[in-house]
Amino acid sequence: MRWAISEVPFVKRLLLGRWLHWSITAVTLAVFVVVILTGIFGTPAGNHNFGIVYVWLVWWALLKIVLIPFLGRFWCSVCPIPAPGEWLQRRAMIQPRPGGRLYTLGRKWPKFLRNIWAQNFGFLAVALFSALILTSPLVTGLVLLAFILVSLVTSLVFERRTFCRYLCPIGGFVGVYSQMAPVAVRIKDPAVCAGHKEKTCYIGSDAGYGCPYFNVPSKMVDNTYCSMCGECLRTCPKDNIAFYVRQPGADLLHTKGRRLDEAFNGLMMLGAAFVYSVVLIGPYGWLKATARAVGTPGWFVYAGVLLIFNAVAVPGLFWLCVRLGQALSRKPAARTGAGGARTPGRRDSLFADYAAILVPLGLAIWVAFTLSFTLINLSYAWPALSDPFGWGWNLFGTAQMAWTPYVSGLIPYLQVPLLLAGLVGAIALALRTARQHGQPAWSAVPVSLFCLAAVVGLLTLYLA
Amino acid sequence: MSRFASRRWVLGAVTLGLVLVALLAPVPLAGPAPQERHISVNARTFEFDPSIVRVNRGDTVLIKLQAEDVVHGLYVDGYDVSTQAEPGRPGELRFVADRAGAFHIRCAVPCGNLHPFMIGKLVVGPNLTWLRAVAASVIAAVGALAALWRP
Amino acid sequence: MKRNLFAVMTVLLVLIGLPAGLFGYQAWRTGQLAWAAGVRVVDIVARSPEQGGFAPDHLVLKAGEPVRLRISSADVVHGLNIPGLGVDVKEILPGRVVEVDIKPEKPGRYAFACTRWCSIDHWRMRGVIEVKADAAHPAAQETQTAPLYQKLGVNLDAVWPMDGPRPAQTPSAERAAAASGGLPESLLDPSQRVATAPADAFRQLRADPAHSQLGDGEIWDQVAWAWLHDVKPETLSMAGSLYSRDCAACHGPQGKGDGPAGRNLPGMQKMDATGDGASPPAGPADFTDPARMLNASDVVLQGKILRGGMGTRMPEFGSLYTDDELWAMVQYIRTFLFQPAGK
Repeated sequence: MRWAISEVPFVKRLLLGRWLHWSITAVTLAVFVVVILTGIFGTPAGNHNFGIVYVWLVWWALLKIVLIPFLGRFWCSVCPIPAPGEWLQRRAMIQPRPGGRLYTLGRKWPKFLRNIWAQNFGFLAVALFSALILTSPLVTGLVLLAFILVSLVTSLVFERRTFCRYLCPIGGFVGVYSQMAPVAVRIKDPAVCAGHKEKTCYIGSDAGYGCPYFNVPSKMVDNTYCSMCGECLRTCPKDNIAFYVRQPGADLLHTKGRRLDEAFNGLMMLGAAFVYSVVLIGPYGWLKATARAVGTPGWFVYAGVLLIFNAVAVPGLFWLCVRLGQALSRKPAARTGAGGARTPGRRDSLFADYAAILVPLGLAIWVAFTLSFTLINLSYAWPALSDPFGWGWNLFGTAQMAWTPYVSGLIPYLQVPLLLAGLVGAIALALRTARQHGQPAWSAVPVSLFCLAAVVGLLTLYLA
Repeated sequence: MSRFASRRWVLGAVTLGLVLVALLAPVPLAGPAPQERHISVNARTFEFDPSIVRVNRGDTVLIKLQAEDVVHGLYVDGYDVSTQAEPGRPGELRFVADRAGAFHIRCAVPCGNLHPFMIGKLVVGPNLTWLRAVAASVIAAVGALAALWRP
Repeated sequence: MKRNLFAVMTVLLVLIGLPAGLFGYQAWRTGQLAWAAGVRVVDIVARSPEQGGFAPDHLVLKAGEPVRLRISSADVVHGLNIPGLGVDVKEILPGRVVEVDIKPEKPGRYAFACTRWCSIDHWRMRGVIEVKADAAHPAAQETQTAPLYQKLGVNLDAVWPMDGPRPAQTPSAERAAAASGGLPESLLDPSQRVATAPADAFRQLRADPAHSQLGDGEIWDQVAWAWLHDVKPETLSMAGSLYSRDCAACHGPQGKGDGPAGRNLPGMQKMDATGDGASPPAGPADFTDPARMLNASDVVLQGKILRGGMGTRMPEFGSLYTDDELWAMVQYIRTFLFQPAGK
């Protein structure tokens, strides 16, 4: 069930042209420059620092509540971090170079890293320092500066958007959760692709560049690595690719042959949501202070507990639930010869396949978590706009606006329906997974209870 | 429509109905008689002590906020009231807890770098909000399993 | 290619123009005041004392020169009080800048202090503004007057006696108002009773045969009357707000020495907590404790507030309070034990 929105002439012109993505990127780059400058040179008081407010409140809320659920990985196509590197790599911003040629050292990204494991552990690493990053403008500024420098270097040493595809901690979960989005870039007719050997969508041509995310469009069945940049639409000589509006979460309906690294990402993000909810939103001041006191013995204990919880305990518990489900169904998973739809020949991994149910659940949980602090603190955005450095400016007259929590009483009424929807989606997907693996429905019960426990746990943290 | 499909819709509708009942149905709970509650809340970086304040619905709540180290504030979600205090100068908050549920209390005066995360809770009455949400979750989970069950 | 050029130019504008614009605006904004209006701009950043306190905490200004102080806080809520220059900023929120214009006329040294409790070391957050004399503003001939306790040779650090007569109920100046005739001038005149402790006054009155028919309680009421009969409500109110701002954090809002900032103060070893009544208990002074307060004369109280020290982290307020404020504070402290008239 899908509709090719890019067939509408106006939309097609917009998407095929390069000005749309470029102009939005120019804006995000400008904001990014201000973020770095205010982070490094502005007031250390986070509430009134443009860097902290516009990254961890405004951008984060936009990303979690609007961009990912509705536009998938679209943010990545306008993100400022890879932009300068990509422009230098292409030596072009609008008009592409002939043949879609890239000017890099052309090194190949190591095979063992061609997955999202680096991004998984990158996110955990950021999570370890997050109590400090979120509340220190200087650290935010330096971390983002480091990101853009690493991205610049990888753009010139390796090919395409290596940073985004294999290194960026944000890209990891944005990609996994973008499977829920109601938009997708897919080929129209597989037969056309079968007859086209040149694969300019991957190689590039005079009309544009090969997919920056190393996707082969004819093989793309999910949104995980597609930022909807439109290059493939520009390079396809057969006009066989389109932007579709489609059923949300359709990518998850094929439950077989899922990747372990993506599964771990879903598990780790769930654990991270719990950790953040306990440490940041909970009432334990000593825990927050310990989490922020990077380098102290207490912090090392906290870091150890966090890593064990996210990397071992949560995935371990989920694995137990999968095993329990198999025991309940008294039937091992069917070992089909040719894996699933995405990785032919790959051994069927029930654990990874079941872990996909954490995508709808995890997205719902992260939106609920984001809501718990966004609406309350959004009013910091107005003074930060007029006085980004905290130097006493008043560019737009809003510098003296006081902190005003918005609709604070409404937040639980938004969180509960979200969590319920995520829970139902996860259970529905679990039952589907069981069925598609030839397993009785009992096999899905323990993981469903896992999801129920996660939701009840989170509700208890927020509401009890 | 196949038997599965029609069962799915019927059970789905029933589940949705039960979830709505769990979330919205008024529960005639005759709680204890409202009284005046004097509660002393200590604020220090970065927590409130006690971190959870429990009162009954209808109580007149008088919170005396005492700061232990720097200037702190206290804001109550939902009730939208606030006060501030610093060592030696306590603050006072007075309101009637007419809305049941769980409400976050937050520090309302910048008190340091973790200030936005200085959070506690006010629970009014039996925590119906939490009970409803948990009941709704269990109903939703069971209902989803039942509706989509294919042995 | 033209499209690329336009795009590149725009991005370069962003990457170079934006920082230039932002920092340029800041330079223009501060410069405009200095160059255009001839006003000197001084930035003061307030941080918790552990992080440096006021930066700078020592300013040198010229007499008669208009100065704009731009005070900002880098961490928590601070305040800034420069009593000698009439500056009292009650709230500096983190990330905000408060601008105050001053034009010091008289040369001299002006102490300033933070007025909002910003850390356990808040009392240390002080600074000094030196205003230099010039031809148009000659330095005043300062006669350095020694504090009263020095002139009278009173040892502020002597261990107080803790014994002596105690009232059974709170002495009330109100009750004594009617029967206050016959009190000697040496007790009614503040400048004459300044070295007399209330307990001594009690003994003196008790020994006077003219009062032999009065009960002990009534004599205590007379003592209260002696101390508080001439205190004005405005004085108490002014002292009360100073107390609330500067003293209550350690000494407690009710004067019991139970303020949150006074717990676990180092330097309390001087007072030993034997609890036997022979020596003062540890912690900030309890102004409601008769054993302690009735044996303290006004000059001792005033001296302690003025000089601080004593190894107990009691700050000095001599540089911040005027003489009137110091004596008003002494009277206010008496009201923790004595009820003033008219109450």
